[in-house]
Amino acid sequence: MTTVANRSKAGRAGDAPPARPTRRRTRPGTGTSRPWLLLLPALVVMAGLLLWPMVQVVLLSLQNFGLRELVTGRTRWIGLDNYTALLSDPNLWQIVLPNTVVFAIVAVLATVVVGTLVALLLNRLGTVSRGLVTTAILVAWALPAVTGTYVWVFLFTPGDGIAVQALDAIGLLDATTANPFADRVSFYVIALLNVVHHGFPFVALTVLAGLMTIPNELNEAAVIDGAGAWRRFWSLTFPTLRPVFAVVTVLSTIWDFKVFTQIYLMPGGDGVNRSVLNLGTWSYVESFAQNKYGLGAAIAVLLTVVLLVITMGYLRLLFKEDEL
Amino acid sequence: MRAGSFGKGVGVAAVLLFTLFPVWLMISTALNGRANAGSRTFLPEEWTLANFAFVFGEGGFGRYLLNSLIVAMGTVLAGALLALLAAVAVARFRFRFRTSVLVMILIIQMVPIEALVIPLFIQAKSLQLLNTLIGLVVVYLAFSLPFAIWTMRGFVAAVPVELEEAAYLDGASWGRMFRSVLLPLVAPGLVATSVFSFITAWNEFIFALTFMSQETNYTAAVGLRGFFGQHATDWGAVMAASTIITVPVMIFFVIAQRRLTSGLVAGAVKG
Amino acid sequence: MSRTGSRGVRRIGVAVLAAAALAVAGCSSGGGDQAPAGGGPVNGAGQTLRMWIMEGTNPDPKPYVDELSAAFEKQTGAKLEVEFLQWKTGHDKFTTAIAGGTTPDVAEVGTTWLSEFGTAGAFADLTQRVESAGLGDGLVKGLEEAGRIDGSLYGLPWYAGVRSVVYRKDVFAELGINPPTTWAEIVAAGQKIKAAKPDMLPFPIAGDNEFAVYPFVWAAGGDIATKNGDKWVAALDTPQARAGIQFYADLALKNGFSTPAAATWRETDLRDAFTKGQAAMIISGNWTPKALVEAAPELQGKIGAFSLPGENGGLAPAVLGGSLLSVFEGSKNQDLAWELVKLMGTGEFAEKWSTSSGYFPGTTALLQQAAQSTDPLVAPFAKQMVDAGRAVPVSPAFGQIQAKKTVATMMRSILTGEQTVEQATTAATAEMNTLFSSS
Repeated sequence: MTTVANRSKAGRAGDAPPARPTRRRTRPGTGTSRPWLLLLPALVVMAGLLLWPMVQVVLLSLQNFGLRELVTGRTRWIGLDNYTALLSDPNLWQIVLPNTVVFAIVAVLATVVVGTLVALLLNRLGTVSRGLVTTAILVAWALPAVTGTYVWVFLFTPGDGIAVQALDAIGLLDATTANPFADRVSFYVIALLNVVHHGFPFVALTVLAGLMTIPNELNEAAVIDGAGAWRRFWSLTFPTLRPVFAVVTVLSTIWDFKVFTQIYLMPGGDGVNRSVLNLGTWSYVESFAQNKYGLGAAIAVLLTVVLLVITMGYLRLLFKEDEL
Repeated sequence: MRAGSFGKGVGVAAVLLFTLFPVWLMISTALNGRANAGSRTFLPEEWTLANFAFVFGEGGFGRYLLNSLIVAMGTVLAGALLALLAAVAVARFRFRFRTSVLVMILIIQMVPIEALVIPLFIQAKSLQLLNTLIGLVVVYLAFSLPFAIWTMRGFVAAVPVELEEAAYLDGASWGRMFRSVLLPLVAPGLVATSVFSFITAWNEFIFALTFMSQETNYTAAVGLRGFFGQHATDWGAVMAASTIITVPVMIFFVIAQRRLTSGLVAGAVKG
Repeated sequence: MSRTGSRGVRRIGVAVLAAAALAVAGCSSGGGDQAPAGGGPVNGAGQTLRMWIMEGTNPDPKPYVDELSAAFEKQTGAKLEVEFLQWKTGHDKFTTAIAGGTTPDVAEVGTTWLSEFGTAGAFADLTQRVESAGLGDGLVKGLEEAGRIDGSLYGLPWYAGVRSVVYRKDVFAELGINPPTTWAEIVAAGQKIKAAKPDMLPFPIAGDNEFAVYPFVWAAGGDIATKNGDKWVAALDTPQARAGIQFYADLALKNGFSTPAAATWRETDLRDAFTKGQAAMIISGNWTPKALVEAAPELQGKIGAFSLPGENGGLAPAVLGGSLLSVFEGSKNQDLAWELVKLMGTGEFAEKWSTSSGYFPGTTALLQQAAQSTDPLVAPFAKQMVDAGRAVPVSPAFGQIQAKKTVATMMRSILTGEQTVEQATTAATAEMNTLFSSS
């Protein structure tokens, strides 16, 4: 999130950091090697465990790679066959891709909207209640994805789950017959609650941090001008914090696109209920349950490409090169 | 004005309900002696610590927690060190390819780690790191590094260069300056990044599930699945174990709250 | 799990009995004979063997494991580390461990998994060891065949089981219903229960429970897949198979004996419903009555069992399931591992396991006793197993089909009404054929 703010605050903060090459050179033993020495361990780790695997996953996706290949170490190149199989699979277009993309869009929107509303609320609260709400938000944030998912599953357990009973009481469903996890839409609604609950605190706190940098006078001036809350948000807050919103949106998109744990741990999410697979769980199930590591890798590549295209799009909108 | 404060009250209540209700339900079910007998209430029908006793006794959860702790601490310590060094490099030096390195770190953050399970699994296999805690530490380190570097960079940049100058004028070497000037001043940043690294490692599920083939090496997140029994889900135990996993992280979060939010502010607002 | 062609429903039964008869004479030496296969005694002092056992087979396996560990340590000096795997997550754990080379030394392997993992080279060839230990003739045929790949034996039969119907004796008595002997009688019994006890599910149908589907497919004259020369071809889309599936699904859909929630239920959820007193009849294994009473002591004396009938009488063929004990190829201690397999698969410990778990044993000598039982909670199962036990396709692909949950997915979409039987079976058949042809 750092960079975003570069743009809004460029004048103030941008001058401190980089580079005083002249002075550096006067110190004994300093040269161009020191930054590289400092960077080296981190670069080695990232290159070995992030970049190289990225290359490898592409290579794997061009092979027929199963248990036998894994055990014997042999390779069977099959060109683009995995991709052909993948792209001609109706499941991809009818189930997996919609599940992934639609869910990500809705989840990102919901997370950012809820997070922003909470941030605006926090910004207007007194010290005590702000502390209270912030603590509650942190508690939600701290709830790990695994345990959070189980709580939501517990709430919606068919038959006797509290939420199922409550929905039954207001007549929205019949607790004795309904299984919210069986249906694709209700499955993802529960996943949405889970993901928003886990994701909005980051947005709220980041946006709040941004809000607090807007001088109060500006807001007061707007109030005096008779601008309502809605107009003030769109004409003052939003433009000022645009970079902040952009960053929370990008990060939420990244997180929600590849959501795995929350789906995999819900009933049927581990591949039993094929209609709720998303790109992440599908890739995992194809590889580690079906031993089709090549096909699984192809799905993983697809996931990465879709994600990169979207984030690169965002980034081009957001940053200019000199701001880095 | 009255309408405004009423609205605020409603807002606060809604936020509190949405954020705390699941957590409350988790804890109250963990304390409910009748949770496995189908009790689904907001308050325990029968207060008991039996679920916790079961989780630690027969459930063998202590072992999983210890594993999680080892993995998380390993990730935090290694991550903090590497991120700090790298952050100093990109924030304090201008060198060729600096921008390229930054762009790479930014882009690499966007790579879905879920897409790397297969190659990392194969890589860990050839390095004999499968089914070991070290294997997880190494992987989590890689995942948390880009974000940690990115955040630390903001903190390092925020330290006034003049303080460093002063140290040099006093005759300090670069290493000395690093230890006694830079390090204390970026400590809040280290706390913030450590919290993130810790959470990454503590909460991670998919790699912990895939890498570990032996129960004694499970982390808490994976061990939790064991309470979803063959015959029926032991909700009391699931929630008790969930509480045990969650509460330390929450306390950690709340204690570090000021640091964390100031970390966010610094990260988000300072360049 | 066994007989490849499986045309003759009764052939297995006959083979079992024949082998059993043979065994009565010759094979009672298992327990006493501890001579190691390859010569001198195996010394395992200072070693630790890891073993995987599937959870739930035995409601309380701790005493067995403790005794086994003690006996094994006494015999070889090696320690034993047992880990219990759940069936629902076990397959993935096997695959991942085999792929990663992090397997234990010994594992219980389900009959339907053996072919899949064995073909991938995961298990050690036990043919020689079984022969030299003199065990070759005393193994239950169905299980033994499941353990063979290209003639070599990759697992020692451990236990076998079969599914019939467990029902509420008290409810049947109260309403004057006799255990059904045809499909029409199942429906009639269900109707009576539904009318008299509206809050009870007469015959819940779990979506994720493939082994309950096959008996209906077979009984209607269909098959899961047929072997054509070397190739398996899925057959769930034949009119006969569809008729069986339709009847089975209609217990829920047309007759309303189930609940829509059951579309994603597993077999364990059926038992849950039964122990909560919500179900009158469930398809359940011969190993479950004991566990059911344990989970719901108030049902003591109220549980009965009847063999799943064929459409117009007789018995519906039921999946003869079970497990073998295999040694992993990756084990550094195969001699020691074989000692453990032998200790568990024969004699005293084999008997202990089957009595404490409620399964049928894997050696013919012990099976013989069980088949003659008059216990009302054993006899219907024994009858179903011996007279109508039948194997699912022995092909590595079938393990993948199971892992992919093809049949569970099919049933789920039928039970939720998303697809008709015709659509769902067409999709399932296509998916099975893809997997059959890719392996």
